[in-house]
Amino acid sequence: MQDGPPFLTSPYKENDAMSRPRALENIRVVDFSWVRAGPWATRWLGAFGAEIIKIEWPENERGRLPSTTTPQNLEVDLNTSGNFNDTNVNKKSLSLNARSVKGLEIVKRLIAISDIVIENFSSRVLQNWGLGYEELCKIKPNIVYVSMSGYGHTGRHHHYTTFGPIAQAVSGLTYLAGLPDKPPAGWGWSYMDDTGGMYGAMCALTGLYYRNMTGQGQHIDLSQMVSSVPLNGPALLDFTVNGRGSRRTGYPPGNRAHWPGTSLVNNYRGPTVAPHNAYRTHPGEYNDWCVIVCYSDAEWQRLVQAMGAPSWASSPKFATVLGRLQHQEELDEHIETWSMTLRKYELTERCQSAGVRALPVQSAEDRVEHDPQLRHREMYLPIEHPALGTHKVQNAPFKLSETPASSHLPSPLIGQHTREIVEGLLGYSHEELRAGFADGTFWPTKRRRFAYMEEMLR
Amino acid sequence: MSNAQPLPGPLAGLRVLELADETGQFCGKLLADLGADVVKIEPPGGEPSRHVGPFVDDIPHPERSLSFWYYNTSKRGITLNLETADGRQLFRRLATASDVILETFRPGFLASRGLDYEALREQNALLVMCALTPFGQTGPWRDYLSSDLLHMAAGGEMASCGYDEADVPNAPPIAPGGGNAWHIGCHFAYMAIMAALVYRTVARQGQYIDASIHEACALTTEAAIANYIYRGEVVRRQTGRHHAPAPTPRTQFRAKDGTYVCALVAGRLNPKFVRELADLLDSYGMAGDLKDAKYRDPAVIAANTSHIIDDLVANFIASLPAEEVYHAAQERGFTWGAVRAPEQLLNDAHLHDRGFWKEVEHPELGRSFVYPGEAAIYNGSPWRISRRAPLIGEHNMEIFCDELGLARAELSVLAENRVI
Repeated sequence: MQDGPPFLTSPYKENDAMSRPRALENIRVVDFSWVRAGPWATRWLGAFGAEIIKIEWPENERGRLPSTTTPQNLEVDLNTSGNFNDTNVNKKSLSLNARSVKGLEIVKRLIAISDIVIENFSSRVLQNWGLGYEELCKIKPNIVYVSMSGYGHTGRHHHYTTFGPIAQAVSGLTYLAGLPDKPPAGWGWSYMDDTGGMYGAMCALTGLYYRNMTGQGQHIDLSQMVSSVPLNGPALLDFTVNGRGSRRTGYPPGNRAHWPGTSLVNNYRGPTVAPHNAYRTHPGEYNDWCVIVCYSDAEWQRLVQAMGAPSWASSPKFATVLGRLQHQEELDEHIETWSMTLRKYELTERCQSAGVRALPVQSAEDRVEHDPQLRHREMYLPIEHPALGTHKVQNAPFKLSETPASSHLPSPLIGQHTREIVEGLLGYSHEELRAGFADGTFWPTKRRRFAYMEEMLR
Repeated sequence: MSNAQPLPGPLAGLRVLELADETGQFCGKLLADLGADVVKIEPPGGEPSRHVGPFVDDIPHPERSLSFWYYNTSKRGITLNLETADGRQLFRRLATASDVILETFRPGFLASRGLDYEALREQNALLVMCALTPFGQTGPWRDYLSSDLLHMAAGGEMASCGYDEADVPNAPPIAPGGGNAWHIGCHFAYMAIMAALVYRTVARQGQYIDASIHEACALTTEAAIANYIYRGEVVRRQTGRHHAPAPTPRTQFRAKDGTYVCALVAGRLNPKFVRELADLLDSYGMAGDLKDAKYRDPAVIAANTSHIIDDLVANFIASLPAEEVYHAAQERGFTWGAVRAPEQLLNDAHLHDRGFWKEVEHPELGRSFVYPGEAAIYNGSPWRISRRAPLIGEHNMEIFCDELGLARAELSVLAENRVI
């Protein structure tokens, strides 16, 4: 494969998934979640076909605004965040002041006909609204309630708060990333919003399975900080079993399996081998890097052949894994001299066709435009959004043969489905809807309404 | 003593066959710790993942890998050689009586042995089978080799992680450690399996799942993809904080003890926040000029952003141990945290309150060890570690003889013929 012009964009095609049954058909989720982790959880329940009813209020909305992903040609408002769109496909939006008496009554009617309640507020918020688990059970006895708070609902620090970077810092995840003797590089994004979202969806699905098998609902108390800790398992066991902590010379070893000149201790990412590093590639721009790993002498010898069997590589000091670890600085310099002569996709192709582990460092642009595998697997498919136009959204990383996950709805405009839910689902009259808009239940009375709201009030 | 019986986990009664290497074993753990009966099927002699260190007391041995221990809790273990006709026949019998198969073989391997989903479901229409592989079952990279580092590169994690030029000139993109490519793939695989199982409770039908670690990693960089798709921007790497299209103020500060604090300040500097920040700093006599009335003016705050962050906050944090900054700030409502090494978590009172740490017995060693516990508390059907990772073939007799009905003599013959 050449690192030439980007692949042509595949023509928009009707997703086969649209006509198939859905894994969560007839499951309804009351979704109070905001910012990122909670919405990322319900996004996946929606992809499996659950009806996600996102309850939002523009005065304290966090997720649509502030937006740094609004296309340059559009004004930033509640409906133009690109990242919100990608995070909230397959959902419906009910704009509702849940803190008002009337709003709370409507929420309770909705919960009574729903299967799952999910939220990622601080630990006492829902309880203070009068919607703690005991109350939820009175409304819907077998409700599956997933709370996704920063520190969980129990424990002395339940009132502490997190964003992804804080959960990552406090749990030890940040510390695992970086070069020795430098500050932690950490994760360059809220990994624990992504992964916290995963756990939110995993808890909801597990709770739902248990309910379907036994008839019992339950409260599942997920914590963003606590859920980060099990991701350090082997490092923690190295401490609890061997007494060896991670604050030690040579750790973390950057991209290497081992930092030269320090004691040979496993770094919790797999076998201790060399080469195991990132190397610059031609033409040396910001993201022109490839990683290469050799797990055996045989793989090393295949890399030597792929490099054209340079004379340095035949030195006995590189013939053994202990030798390659000991002379890693020199080894990496030699490899990089070679890697700089090739473009990253060219190097990848050459190595992989020779049976050598190598892949390019890929930016977002690389993944969307240049990665032939993601293209083949239809990772990014366009979807039309009423305010943003047609853009690609990220698809599921798995293909289910009978109930494929899909992106069948764009993210909702705020309050877009208020009438559909209030009148169609809950059975209120059109007059009651209008009254609710007039008294500030469905939209702040002093805030300008979007055109589609005027439309639904006719 | 029925009142002493613990509640069953949410997946109690579910039988899972796991044929997984280091890429998929965490998914099996997620299922097993929630109560599923996960039977790990290893080749005779054990999975290669038993050879990954560190080892107990640094003595390398396939029964002493801490990585293997951690990722295989609550499972039972048998050995089976799928390259033999007897091994395949036994596998088919196990598959008939199972709910889920999780496998991580290279694409096409099981089909080449007549053990693909089409063949297995003929005897078990309810079977859910998940193939978790580096790139999925199709596509130009299908047969590519991979590793945790390779996935962090191609998935985009590395393009987002690294250093400010001022901290480390010419720094490479950094792959966070800990084996998170496998975690990411396993989280998505778990989710897909559970969705298929929920569907099965209603539709009485199994299905096949083709899950890709590369796609899972490519999905796990927050807004990087949206930055590109909606604005054409490619993000830059920054020390200890979010990637961004343009540089942002630092959020990681060195504390008095030489460790770091993650303190989110930039982007929040409104008059109310500054007033609260001044109170926090002032409680340690470190407020500087921050209590000055001029900071009621958002314009003054904006003009002094660097002074507030790089002088006042940085000096405040430099004067205290990281843990003290963390708790003092959180108690006042600041979303800040200490950057801890994993071992510091053992002293975390909050985790102890939640009963997070679990004592797991290793009877063959006559010792027990502390393991990390659950991500979430399932109040109606608890998570638990039911046993330590299985020894090689530990449950061969239990499963082949007691459950499948083989005679002891047959088991011996199978061992002699390297079937188990």
